[in-house]
Amino acid sequence: MARATGHPPNLHERKVNVMNSGSAKLQRTVFIASFIVPTLLFFSVFTIYPTIKALYFSFFDWSGMSQTKDFIGFDNYIEMFKDPIIWRAIGNDYFLVLGKIIGIMALATFFAVALTRFNFKLAGFFRSIFFIPNVISVVVIGVLWNFIYNPQIGFLNSFLSLFTKDQVTITWLGFADHTIWMLLPPAIWAGIGFYMLLLIAAIQNIPESYYEAASLEGSGQWRQFWTITLPLIWEQMKVSILNIMMTTLNGSFVIVWIMTEGGPDNSTQVMGTYLYQMAFRQYHFGFASAIGVLILVLSLLTTVVLQRLMRQETVELG
Amino acid sequence: MNQGIKNPIAKIIFLAILLLWSVSVIYPLIWTLLDSLKDNQQFFFNKPWALPNFPLLWENYSYVWEKYHFDKYFVNSLLVTGGATLLGLLLAAMTAYVLARFKFKGSGAIYGLYISSMMVPFILALIPLFFLLNSLHLTNTKIGLILVYTSSVLAFGIFVLVGFFKGLPKELEEAANIDGAGYYGTFFRVMLPLSQPGLIAVGIINVLNIWNEYIVGTVLVSDPEQYTLPIEIGVMQAEMQYRTEWGPLFAALMFTIVPVLILYIIFQRQIASGITAGAVK
Amino acid sequence: MVLKNKLAMGIAATMLVLPLAACGSNNETTNNQPANNAETKTNEGANNAANTGGETADAGTKLTGDFEIQYFVGGYGDAWWKKVIADFQAANPELNIKALGGPKINEQNKPRWIAGTPPDFVYIDGPELNDRQLVEDGQLEDLTEWIQTATNVDGDKIIDILAQAPQQYDSKIYNIPLVLNSWGIFWDKALFAEKGWTEPTDYQSFLDVSEKIKAAGITPFIHTGKYPYYINGAFLFPAIVSANNNDYTVLQDMAANKVEAYESPAVMTALNKIVELRDKGFIDKGSVQINHTDSQMLFLQHKDAFIANGLWLPNEMSKDVPQGFQFGFIPSVGQDNGGKIVANTSTATVAIAKNAKNKDAAKAFLQFIFSKAQASQWAELSGAPSNIKGDISASNAPSHVKDAAKYLTDANTVVIPTITYNADVDKAMQDASAALAAGTIEPADWVKRVTDAVKKAAK
Repeated sequence: MARATGHPPNLHERKVNVMNSGSAKLQRTVFIASFIVPTLLFFSVFTIYPTIKALYFSFFDWSGMSQTKDFIGFDNYIEMFKDPIIWRAIGNDYFLVLGKIIGIMALATFFAVALTRFNFKLAGFFRSIFFIPNVISVVVIGVLWNFIYNPQIGFLNSFLSLFTKDQVTITWLGFADHTIWMLLPPAIWAGIGFYMLLLIAAIQNIPESYYEAASLEGSGQWRQFWTITLPLIWEQMKVSILNIMMTTLNGSFVIVWIMTEGGPDNSTQVMGTYLYQMAFRQYHFGFASAIGVLILVLSLLTTVVLQRLMRQETVELG
Repeated sequence: MNQGIKNPIAKIIFLAILLLWSVSVIYPLIWTLLDSLKDNQQFFFNKPWALPNFPLLWENYSYVWEKYHFDKYFVNSLLVTGGATLLGLLLAAMTAYVLARFKFKGSGAIYGLYISSMMVPFILALIPLFFLLNSLHLTNTKIGLILVYTSSVLAFGIFVLVGFFKGLPKELEEAANIDGAGYYGTFFRVMLPLSQPGLIAVGIINVLNIWNEYIVGTVLVSDPEQYTLPIEIGVMQAEMQYRTEWGPLFAALMFTIVPVLILYIIFQRQIASGITAGAVK
Repeated sequence: MVLKNKLAMGIAATMLVLPLAACGSNNETTNNQPANNAETKTNEGANNAANTGGETADAGTKLTGDFEIQYFVGGYGDAWWKKVIADFQAANPELNIKALGGPKINEQNKPRWIAGTPPDFVYIDGPELNDRQLVEDGQLEDLTEWIQTATNVDGDKIIDILAQAPQQYDSKIYNIPLVLNSWGIFWDKALFAEKGWTEPTDYQSFLDVSEKIKAAGITPFIHTGKYPYYINGAFLFPAIVSANNNDYTVLQDMAANKVEAYESPAVMTALNKIVELRDKGFIDKGSVQINHTDSQMLFLQHKDAFIANGLWLPNEMSKDVPQGFQFGFIPSVGQDNGGKIVANTSTATVAIAKNAKNKDAAKAFLQFIFSKAQASQWAELSGAPSNIKGDISASNAPSHVKDAAKYLTDANTVVIPTITYNADVDKAMQDASAALAAGTIEPADWVKRVTDAVKKAAK
C-alpha cells in the first residue's frame, strides 16, 4: 500500500474517468451483478423458495404425509387462534424472551464491565471460559441439563440432599405450572458468552480519556458505569436484545424439545415445539405452517415494538 | 488510568461471582468426562459428582467409536462442515463487499432480505427443502447437505461482513483501483486479504453452527453412510429411549464437544473479533 | 448394530442362530449382498417355498429388482429383521433387498412417503408413524381381498393363523399385525417374596399391597409420565373395559370419535381409580418428568414396586436387570375381585405401500414372515410374542413371553384388539392422563378436554 500512496492519484483517476466513462459504467454493473446474483440465486433456491412453499402450505388442510391437499383458505389460522395451547405457547415464548433478555443482559453486562473496568488479573481467562457454552451444541446442553434435573440420579437433587435428612426428589421438569421457569437457566447459561463478548468489545471502544476525566472529577466505578459505559454501549445492548428476542422466538425449539418435548401437559410448549408436534406427531402440516407464519409475524412485530421502545430510551439517557 | 475496584469487599464479592460462573461452565465439561467413564450401576448408585470407579471405562469411547461408526461420521462432518463453510464464506463475502461499497438500485432491499430471513424459523422450510433436494437427486449426499448449510449461513455472513467491509478505509481500494487492479482484482487481491480477520471470524462461527446442526441433517440424510456426528447423536439419543447406555452417551457427547473446544481454544481471538465486527462500528 | 447385546440374553436364541453362522448376530451388512449361499439354506426348509408357494401374482417366477423394507428399531430391536431379511435374500438371490432401519427411520423416510416414492414394505411401529393416519392418507395398499386367500410359505392361510385379526377401516384391511404384545403391570417376584407381599390379582389386592409397600418406604407405582400412553395402555384402557362389563366395544367407539363413549360411566370409574392411586400417594411423583428408560431403571432398582409398561420391558432392559430380579406380570389390575383379567394388546403391524414399486416382492415377503418358523424366531430374537397362533410353548422363547402368550390365549382373559386412536385425540388423552396422575386436573376435566378434542377431530 505504501507504493500506492506514492502515486499522483488525481491525474491517473481523471485519465481513467475520461477514457471510459461509458464502459466503466457497464463494467461496474457487470461486477455488481456477478457478485450479487450468484449468492442471491443460491439463497433463493435453498432458503427463500422452501420457506415460501411452506407458507403456502398454511392455506391447506394437509397431513404432511398424504399426497393430496385441500385448500381451506384461512381456516388453519382461525383454528389456531381458537386453540388454547397456542396461547400458552405464545405466553411461554414471551416468558423466555423476557427472562432471557433480563437474565442474559444483566449478567453479560456485569461480566463485560467486570472484565474490562475492574482490573482483574484473570480477566482474559474468565473471558475465554465464559464463552465456552456457546460453542457446544444445544443438543449436548439439553442432554446435560436433563441429567442435572433428573429427579433420582440428577445432580441438583443429590446436591440438595446433602443438606437435608431425607433424599430430595423434586421433579424439576414436572411442576404443574411454571415448569417453563426451569428452562430459563440452561437458556441463559448457554447464551451469555456471545453477548458478553459483544459488550466487552463495545466497552473497549470507549476512549479511556472519558473515564480518566470522570475519575479526575471524583466519580467512582458505579457512577462511571451509569454516565459513561451504559450510554455508550447502548447501541450494542439494543442489538443484543433484538437478537435474543429473534433467536428465542424461532430457536428455542431445540432445547425445549430435547428437555421436555413441550410437556408435561403442554406446560412448556413454545411455538417452535408446537409447530414440530403438529407437523410431525399429529399430522397437521398445514396447521404447523400457520404456526410458522405466526412466529415470523410475531418476530417482525416485536422487533418494531422493541425498536420503538428502545429508541425513546436512548433519548432519555442522552 | 483505570483504577479498577477500590473497595476490597466489593472486589472479593465480584471475584467470587466470576469464579462461581467459571465453575458452572467448566464443571459440566468435567462431569461429562467423568460420566463417560462410568457404567450404569455407577450412574445409579453413586453420587453424580462421584469419580468413576477403577478401572476407568475407556472402552466406552472405543465402543462408541467403532460400534456407532464415529470414525466415518467424523470424516463426513469434516467434509460437510469444511465445504459449506468455504462456499458460504465466498458467496457471503462477494455480496457483502458489493453491498458495503456500491450504491445501486435495490441494494437496500437485498440487504433487508438477507437480514429479515434470519427471523424465519428454519424447521418450517424442511419438508419443501427435502422435495427440492429430492428432485435434484441430492438427498443422502454430502453435496446436498453442503448446499443447504451454505445457504443457511449466508445471511449471518453477509450481516457481519457488510459491517466489516464498511469499517475498512476506502483509500485502500481507491489506491488499488488506480493501480489498474479493476474491480475483481481489487476484491480478490486487496479486499479479501484485508478482511481476513472478519472472514476467519465468520468462518469459525459457521463451523461451530454447521458442526453442531442436526435437525436439517436428520431429515435430509437417512443413509447411515452419509451421517454427520450430530445426526448420529440424535439417532443415539433416540436409541437411548430403548436402551440405557449412559456412559457411551456421555462418551459420544465428548466426541462432539472436544473438536469444537479445540477449535475454540485455537481461534478464540478471531471468534471474539467476528462477533464484534458486525455490531461494533 | 443396535441389538447385538440383546442376543446374548436370549439364551435359546443362540441355538437357532448357530447353524446360520453366515448371518449370525454380528452380521451388519447382510442387506445388499446375498447371504452366503448353501449352508444358509438349512433353515426351516421355508426358503424353497418362498419361490413356489403362495398367492403371489407370478407364483413360481423369480423375484427380481429392488425391494425396500422400512423398519423402525425400538424396544424389540432389529435382530429379527436382520435375520429374516437375510433369510429372504437367501431365498431370492436375484432380488436386491435394501433394508432401511433405525430408531429415526420414520422421520427420515417421511418425505419419501409424501413424494410418492415410499419403500415397498413398511413395519409400522414407533413415533411419527400411525397406521390410522397412513390409511387416511391413502398410503397403504388395500389388502382386503388378497388376505382372504393368501397363504404363507408353508401353505397355511395367513388369515387363519393370525392370533389377532387385522384392524378394519371401513371394513377394509390395510395392515397386518406382526407382533402381539400386551400392556400390563410388572413387579419383582423376588422382592415380593422377600418382603412377604402378595402379588396383585385385582384392583383391591393391588391397593392393599400398595399400602404395605408404601408403609415399607418404597413408592408403590411408577409410570412413564413423559410419554403418558404407558399409563393409558397399561392401566386406564383395561380399567375402562373392566368397568364396562368386560365389553371392549367402548374403546372402539372411542376410537371412532363417538363423544358418548367418552362420557360413559365406565370411563369415569376408570379415571377415578387413577385418582384413588394418586390421592393415596401411590404414584411416584417423579413419574411426570421421566422417560421410559429412566422409569424402568427406577423400577429395576426397587425405588418403585410396580411399573406400568409392556411385555417388551424385560428384553429392553436385559442389560440392567439386577441379579435375582424376577419379572412378575399381570395385564390389568383395574378389575374387581373375581373379575376377568383384561389384556390390552399392543400390536405392531406390517403393510405394503400403495405406491410400492415391487408389490410382488412385498407380498412374497409377507407370506415369508407370517410363517411358524419366522414367528418363533421373532419371539426369540425380539423377546415378544408374534401374532401367529399357537406353538410358542414349545419354542425357546423367554419365559415371560410364554407367560404373556398364556394370558392372551386364556379363555378367561378379555383380549382387547389393537385400537388406534385419532392422533389428536390420543395426544389429548395422554396430556390429560399425565395431568390427572400428577393431580392438576380431575376426571371431569379429563372428559371435557378429551371430548373437546374429539369434537374437533370429528369435524
